[in-house]
Amino acid sequence: MTAGFFARESTIAEPGFNRFQVPTAALSVHLAIGQVYAFSTFNIPLTKILGIDHSAPGDWKATQVVWIFSIAIAFLGASAAFFGPWVERAGPRKSMFTAALCFGGGFLVSALGVKLHQLWLIYLGYGVLGGCGLGIGYISPVSTLIKWFPDRPGMATGMAIMGFGGGALIAAPLSVILMAHFKSATSNGVLETFVTMGVIYFMFMMIGVFTVRVPAPGWKPEGWVAPTAARKLVTTANVTVNVAWRTPQFWLLWTVLCMNVTAGIGVLAVASPMIQEIFAGRVTPVTAASFVGLLSLFNMFGRFFWASTSDYLGRRNTYMIFFLLGIALYAAVPSIGAVPLFVACFCIILSMYGGGFATIPAYLRDVFGTFQVGAIHGLLLTAWSVAGVLGPQLVSYIRDHQINSGVAKAQAYSVTMYIMCGLLLVGFLCNFAMKAVDPKYHRKETAGSAS
Amino acid sequence: MKGRVLVLWFVVSIPLLWGVFKTLQNAIKLFQ
Repeated sequence: MTAGFFARESTIAEPGFNRFQVPTAALSVHLAIGQVYAFSTFNIPLTKILGIDHSAPGDWKATQVVWIFSIAIAFLGASAAFFGPWVERAGPRKSMFTAALCFGGGFLVSALGVKLHQLWLIYLGYGVLGGCGLGIGYISPVSTLIKWFPDRPGMATGMAIMGFGGGALIAAPLSVILMAHFKSATSNGVLETFVTMGVIYFMFMMIGVFTVRVPAPGWKPEGWVAPTAARKLVTTANVTVNVAWRTPQFWLLWTVLCMNVTAGIGVLAVASPMIQEIFAGRVTPVTAASFVGLLSLFNMFGRFFWASTSDYLGRRNTYMIFFLLGIALYAAVPSIGAVPLFVACFCIILSMYGGGFATIPAYLRDVFGTFQVGAIHGLLLTAWSVAGVLGPQLVSYIRDHQINSGVAKAQAYSVTMYIMCGLLLVGFLCNFAMKAVDPKYHRKETAGSAS
Repeated sequence: MKGRVLVLWFVVSIPLLWGVFKTLQNAIKLFQ
């Protein structure tokens, strides 16, 4: 295997290449890195490394362990922003391989951390190294998919980003099965599970490394004619990443994503205790776990459904639906007394949370063009990092404040729902304010400059 | 080329369908 194998030129598709191969490459990466959403399955076992069945003196505390996930998500956003321009230059194969090395390697370094009982090695392994794998892997296939599917960019990126949601559905039961399999008198199975998952995920991501292709310059789908005139919010020009972040459109979209994610992630973080407290006596911890699983399922399918729908409705209109429907549902939740209706409301809300993630690459492509859309997307994902901290903290803080003020637990979430409505209203206004980028920001196209 | 694409879709779909099945299996408890 020579260095040439990883070069962008080596991945240019031959004539007659079937473009539907490319989403499988993207899915292989996103299904693997989506494991991060299920990392909480390791939280309790990681506090029982020495005691095996119980937390022994010297075992890590739960408050120390939860930082692993937070570090990974912070590095996801930071690495997507920092490495975005490199991913565009290096091409999808090299960046997917780097992501596989980081993500798989992160598990192996973490296994060493478990073996030596050094928590900082897990912070460094899964948190920093794995987090960089998450960020690079997340954005690697995005611009390639957009270039292969200029006729259906929403559907194409929706397929890949659906994989990120689906990754948790695979990883949660897989982690439990592996830990049970490897459990022995001397180990609770976490070390062996980390090694196994590191190897499995590296190999699965390599499917993407070997199968990804970029279209030849000037390629377009058979029978498809590129629109010659720019539509209201769909440009035919390009804006570079260094210029894009200086435009108001970038920050409007940043806020749109941040508000949509904050509203969804806040609920996801407290979903299990929330349904148990609102329907005390009617919902057990087991059924609450089923509720969380159902939310993950809608989060996943929402990514494909809404992103594909946005190809027909337009990106701006799709986000209008997210915000208006979201406000209506959040406002209705406090007065709902039936469990199935409550579950249905949150399933729709979480489908729009996933839809927000999956539709944003196509929205960026509409506004800034295809030239450096992957790098711009990477930069925009910092909104995710902010929302990842803001959402859960906001929901937990308001709940605690309400309970401390004497409000019954069942009603403690009502104010939270109305605050979510407020956040979605901010998102709605930012989306409403979206206009086409001023032509002064457009990149001057030169012969042979197309990416 | 079409066969290769179908095989690749099969390979990536199997773990996803397994995850969906496991989730639905648990989700049924919510309505029992």
